[in-house]
Amino acid sequence: MSAVPEPIGSEELADLRRSLRGLLSTAADEEAVRAAAASETGHDEKLYARLATELGVQSLALPAPYGDGFGMEALAVVLGEFGRSVVPGPFFSTVVLAAGALVASGDAAAMDRYLPGIADGSVVATLAVIEADGHWRHQDFGVAAQRQGDQWSLSGTKALVPDLLTSDIVLVAAATPEGEALFAVDTAAPGVDRTALRTLDITRRIGRLDLGDVPATLIGAPGGLSQILDAVLDRAAAGLAAEQIGGAEACLEMAVSYAKVREQFGRPIGSFQAVKHKCADMFARTELGRAAALEAARALDGREDAPPAAEAAAVAHSVCSETFMFVAMENIQVHGGIGFTWEHPAHLYFRRAKADQLMFGGPAAYYERLLRALGA
Amino acid sequence: MSTPSLADFAEEARAFLSEHATPRRAEGAVVWGEGPDRVTYFGDEPKEVDRANVQAARDWQRTRYENGLGWITGPKQYGGRELSIAHELVYDGLEAEYDVPDTGVISLIGLGMIAPTMLAHARPEINDRYLPAMFRGDAIACQLFSEPNAGSDLANVQTRATRDGDSWLLNGQKVWTSAAHHAQLGMVVSRTNPDVPKHKGITTFLIDMSWEGVDVRPLRQMSGGAEFNEVYLDNVRVPDEHRMGEVDGGWRVTMTTLMNERASVGGEGAGPATRPTSRAYLLEMLKATGRDTDGGVRRDFARLLADQTATDYLTHQMMRRARTGDLPGPEASVGKLMFGQNLTRAAHLAAEMTGPRMLADTGDWGAFSWNELLLGTPAFRILGGTEEIMKNILGERVLGLPKEPA
Repeated sequence: MSAVPEPIGSEELADLRRSLRGLLSTAADEEAVRAAAASETGHDEKLYARLATELGVQSLALPAPYGDGFGMEALAVVLGEFGRSVVPGPFFSTVVLAAGALVASGDAAAMDRYLPGIADGSVVATLAVIEADGHWRHQDFGVAAQRQGDQWSLSGTKALVPDLLTSDIVLVAAATPEGEALFAVDTAAPGVDRTALRTLDITRRIGRLDLGDVPATLIGAPGGLSQILDAVLDRAAAGLAAEQIGGAEACLEMAVSYAKVREQFGRPIGSFQAVKHKCADMFARTELGRAAALEAARALDGREDAPPAAEAAAVAHSVCSETFMFVAMENIQVHGGIGFTWEHPAHLYFRRAKADQLMFGGPAAYYERLLRALGA
Repeated sequence: MSTPSLADFAEEARAFLSEHATPRRAEGAVVWGEGPDRVTYFGDEPKEVDRANVQAARDWQRTRYENGLGWITGPKQYGGRELSIAHELVYDGLEAEYDVPDTGVISLIGLGMIAPTMLAHARPEINDRYLPAMFRGDAIACQLFSEPNAGSDLANVQTRATRDGDSWLLNGQKVWTSAAHHAQLGMVVSRTNPDVPKHKGITTFLIDMSWEGVDVRPLRQMSGGAEFNEVYLDNVRVPDEHRMGEVDGGWRVTMTTLMNERASVGGEGAGPATRPTSRAYLLEMLKATGRDTDGGVRRDFARLLADQTATDYLTHQMMRRARTGDLPGPEASVGKLMFGQNLTRAAHLAAEMTGPRMLADTGDWGAFSWNELLLGTPAFRILGGTEEIMKNILGERVLGLPKEPA
């Protein structure tokens, strides 16, 4: 990865948060989110373009010359705001996963080719790792690459690819005779078959990718995949943690404001300790998760007094996944029956929380990853 | 003299520490089976050891005080330096690099909670008389708050204070008083008016523990030691100048003390249990007990380590912000809540790793010794405000949820 990113002051971060929250409060309010989620593409292309042209959030954390060179701490602010509003769309897949993989590969030609489009919002990209058995792994892929002269081609199936249908480019993890490698595939290329799947999280689309002898561009070198994916996973864990805490915050605020106004037995339900303590637990877990997410971002940015990135990322992924799921569940419980309806937004967060928790392998995988990072 | 910059102050502190203390030896890697086999939070030491520790704490506090570092944020007239909390944190950070006596018995309650209360509410002559002694390490102060019928509901105190000329007579029973057996001073919360709502009839006093009628009796706790006490007050005569705050206005005074408690608890370490519950130690234990291949144990282990590490991050971030003057509010009690839960889980995880070898003292290193911490863990969810009270505070003061109707 590149050198230590530009430091960004806490006031600038607060400004960024304010601007983004302002934009999302209208452009991605609940009605807009539901409309985007139900639309054909599953997201609001106009919003995605505005985010690039008005706030430049796609390029914020990309290294120079492609972006502003701010690090994960700045990107985490953006993701936190997206998480608060469960904004549908390919931002995470494009900016965190795909751009993260490109930067981690150190492949200058690939970066020159794809990062400018990602930075200005004109290119949507994603990363395809998981195959039929559902495991997130860094080797033993069924998708195989073959070389004829200088030209590679890929065949096989990636079972679960986030934001696949809206992507222009898919980065595919594949086996080659010389070791695992990452390839870029243009989704308009012949032999690419994309199938939209029904999803648990209705705000994040997933597709199946079938590749039949599709021309592909090698990123980095064969055998270099595992290093790239390790770096991407640390980054993705830290980014996802920020998004999860944004979502948890929204659930906590929803629950607390409801507990203040909803009356039963002649008094606000928030005055009952059973409900109050539930909210206090939600707050405590959210604060713990916030600390973990922030520390992971600082670690990824290589800040001097931060813990090792692999450790902090694994801690954040574990703690924030558990936190968001817990807070999303308890939010529904505080609301009672109304929280169980389709019309109430609580289920959007519940769905997102479980989907986030499983995205990179689920609890069994993230706890083992943490143990490895700690040396157990 | 103008306020020294943090850098200049750090230089001064470092010079003081290198003259009066030795740098802490780097704690080498944990080697399983080596070193003291003691896993405890409460001291539970034999009396002589306990007394020697307290004396060492007093001596070190005096050395700090005589070198202008005994009360970094305090007023100059009482021997303080009138510097910022940031300066104090700089000093604490540096002192942690040196091998110095633990002064918790003096500082946590007396200096950390009662002294700020005195500054806000006691009379100048009382402060003149006692504050320098407290910060010199001569006077340890204890908190005579809880009673058999006033635990979480502290405002229900029944200890009576009745006026008798220029003084007051105190009668009643206090309980769970930490360090009363070492203390020279005690802050008493008492009832002066039983005929008004309970919060409005309370008055607070600072008493000398050697006065006639003060009887301190050790209270043995479930882990075996006796850190707490019952304190009986039998016609204790207290001059009116020892009253803190207004007559019947003691609840405000009490809240000053408790706010300082919540500010201090949580940032503190796990005392003697710090090393055994550290990540390095637990990792060695996982391997040494051969449980590192057991999926169930691994899951429990990972869950604890995730929360424990995140709690460390939380504490460090609070400290970092505090150093720039951004002090935590009541949300700091999240740290205390997590601290108690993590330490409790560590003890149960250790039990899971040792298995039946914790049932009896077989002589195995790092097995039976965990009982001491295990038996101390129920206290972590009670002391310094029960978990339930902490959650009320988070719910009401941080989240703004309505109070329980009276």
